[in-house]
Amino acid sequence: MKAELGFGVLAFVLVGFPAIRVVTSRDLVRAVLWLAVTLLGTAVLYALLQAPFLAGVQVLTYVGGVVTLMVFGVMVTRKHEASTVPVDAANQGRGAVAALAFFSVVAWAILRTDLAALTPVQTPSTQELAVALLDEYLLAFEVASVLLLAAIVSAVVLARRRDPVAEPSGPVGETLREGSTP
Amino acid sequence: MTLRVLLLVATALFSIGIYGLVTRRQAVALLLSIELMANAANVVFVAFSRFGGAPSQPLVLFALAITVAEVAVGLALVLLLYRRHGDTLLELASEARG
Amino acid sequence: MSSPVTLALLTLAAPLAAALVSVIIPPLRHRGAPAAMLTIVASLLATAAAAILVVQGGAGQAIRATVPWLVLQGRGLGEVGVRLDAVSVPMLAVVCLVALAIQVYSVGYMHDEAPRSYGRYFAYHALFLFSMNTLVLAPDLLQAFAGWELVGLVSYLLIGFHFDRPSAARAAVKAFWMTKLADMGFLFALLILFARTGAFSWDVALRPEVAEATAALVFLAVMGKSAQFPLHVWLPDAMEGPTPVSALLHAATMVAAGVYLVVRADPLFAQAHWVQGWMLWIGTITAVFAALLGLVQTDIKRVLAYSTCSQLGFMVAALGAGSAFAGYFHLGTHAFFKALLFLGAGSVIHAVHSNLLTDMGGLGRKMPLTALTFSAGALSLAGVPPFAGFASKDAILTAVEGRGGWVPWALLVATAFLTAFYMGRVLVLTFLGKPSPAAAHAHESPPVMTGPLLALALPTVAGGLLGPWLARGLGTEMHLHLGLTPVLAGLAAVGGLSLSLAIYARGGEAPLAGTLAALDRASIVDRAWAFGYRRLLLPLGAALRWVDRYLVDGLMNGLGYGTLESGAALRPVQTGRTRDYALAVVVGAILLLALGAWR
Repeated sequence: MKAELGFGVLAFVLVGFPAIRVVTSRDLVRAVLWLAVTLLGTAVLYALLQAPFLAGVQVLTYVGGVVTLMVFGVMVTRKHEASTVPVDAANQGRGAVAALAFFSVVAWAILRTDLAALTPVQTPSTQELAVALLDEYLLAFEVASVLLLAAIVSAVVLARRRDPVAEPSGPVGETLREGSTP
Repeated sequence: MTLRVLLLVATALFSIGIYGLVTRRQAVALLLSIELMANAANVVFVAFSRFGGAPSQPLVLFALAITVAEVAVGLALVLLLYRRHGDTLLELASEARG
Repeated sequence: MSSPVTLALLTLAAPLAAALVSVIIPPLRHRGAPAAMLTIVASLLATAAAAILVVQGGAGQAIRATVPWLVLQGRGLGEVGVRLDAVSVPMLAVVCLVALAIQVYSVGYMHDEAPRSYGRYFAYHALFLFSMNTLVLAPDLLQAFAGWELVGLVSYLLIGFHFDRPSAARAAVKAFWMTKLADMGFLFALLILFARTGAFSWDVALRPEVAEATAALVFLAVMGKSAQFPLHVWLPDAMEGPTPVSALLHAATMVAAGVYLVVRADPLFAQAHWVQGWMLWIGTITAVFAALLGLVQTDIKRVLAYSTCSQLGFMVAALGAGSAFAGYFHLGTHAFFKALLFLGAGSVIHAVHSNLLTDMGGLGRKMPLTALTFSAGALSLAGVPPFAGFASKDAILTAVEGRGGWVPWALLVATAFLTAFYMGRVLVLTFLGKPSPAAAHAHESPPVMTGPLLALALPTVAGGLLGPWLARGLGTEMHLHLGLTPVLAGLAAVGGLSLSLAIYARGGEAPLAGTLAALDRASIVDRAWAFGYRRLLLPLGAALRWVDRYLVDGLMNGLGYGTLESGAALRPVQTGRTRDYALAVVVGAILLLALGAWR
């Protein structure tokens, strides 16, 4: 029990507190930075759970990639006055209720389940993980590549600026003209 | 570090994400909340990978990839929203009104 | 398919085809003459076929050829087809022949109509012949009912032929609803039959109460269709239709359909003695009543209408006395001489351009053929021997001998006297004496009209000879005997004619004429029906219309309106705000999880 409690405190420090700061920061930039902290904390958790490779990947992609992207996003889309985020008071109540409701339902399910019945499996080493990716999970691997490609292309198409010279005409051009710069 | 605690932590993380999802008005903030929720799911996978059940670390990798893809497209949409209205408040995207 | 059946089907198919073609190809109808040709050719075919059937005679056996109708669970609900026997074949021949004669006559009579109306007229005629034949050839009461209703429809269409005349339109509606009301009896009788026997045949043995009830209900419809008291009031008004129509439908064939039906369903009626008693009295009362009123009419067609009503009463009385043969025989002779009388009246009307007896006079010299044939018809109707009418009327009087304490017999003999009397009046006022101003320029009708008159005159005079043949077909015998009844009947006829000739030729008036005229003007029965129509039927209709409009339609409209309203009420759920949607997703997820966890 003591170990559990100790771990609970550790988890709170690593991920719980930062997560709360993410959703409560009035400043968007701060929120993004707190997300970075949360993700780092998660990476630490992975490391503790004998998933070092995953921890590394987490740091690289999430903290390195996603957070950077978020920061860019915030910077590009901020209004020129102060970027404080007004929080909707009424919604806070609803949000809290929703979050608590969710937590209680799932927690109750977790606590009711006999988790000791699960047989622990040997966690794979990084080498084994690499092999599995290209062996058992080859199809998923390739599909994921395609998905990422599709995401890149669609993001580019959605976000590109309209060139006033080369304007395509017709119905397709109409949709493309939709998101032009104000 | 029992499985139970880990699961509860993940659930808490997810719930916090829900709070952010329902509460926040900025589009980017919404994306942040969604990130939290995705990560919570990943924690669950890793927990089970360590303590019992099937080894699901590859699953985590794929979940990661999917989440990244979703963030990319989501940010592109935020950009469009900004270009249209000059701001990224979610109320502005309410043209699908009944 | 054997040859008689083919011939019978031809009598149905030919007029139906003519009617359908006229309806489906409007140009034929609009040009007038083509429709007329179609109809007349069809009638010729039908008449020829009917004649062959008559000549082939019966090898005694009835032929029944049917196909099941509305097949459910392997069994048909009813049957459609033809039944050829000693009852249906003679009637078929009479109907087709009279119809043909009247159609040819119509070519002349309706000459002045606009081509479109002319075509419409003949299309209706074709439809009528088909409908009447359907009724005559019916193998069971279901098909008979179908034909019955169809002829009722055609009657409506033809009475109201000149629908731009309000009086004609009203008369058509009156005839229609009164007969439809009576037809409810027929409908209920069908229901009872089906419930009791699973079929619609008249050839069944029923428990006495059931037989009485069924027969009574059928007779109700007969009272409507054959204008028995007190449902007779539509018949005089039906004279608004063109005269050939009055001849065909409202004298010779359609109104006689009621009588035919009773003859046809004789096995049923023979089991219903109580109903037969009723029929005897109602027929007698109708005969007397109508004859009295016919005496004081000023419109020549109305005289004939009341006369028809009276003669139908004779037939019904005969049926009530148990003699299907006597009723049937008189039906046949009456068809010929009454059609002849109506066509003759039409000839006269055409010449003087008026229906009123006061506008006629002295036409005997100007229209000899018409006068001759008309007189033949009048003599036959009056029952002067040896004309056909005498033979059939004698059969009736013989049949009612002794029934009902001799009272019906006495009344009917008196009515025979009256019949002769009022016909004598018509003869005098129309053909004798000095012509009225309107009749000054009258001349004989063209051959296309006088031809049918002559054609109908033959059976009018000699039709009595067919009596024994008909009787044998129906299983009885007819013999001419010298007894009280025939002698008295003959005397009544001759006496009535002579007396009326004597009185009216001198310009006098019958005794009690004033009272009768007042009675006619009072129209007590007619007013009673009008009251019922206005105060009961129409309000009932209005109530049902309310139910239909507000409850039935209201339900449907309400469903539509409700759907729209609920849609409008639900629409605000789509706020368009992403956050609300996110909340909805979360709530849904929570609920699902809770459900899963609880299980």
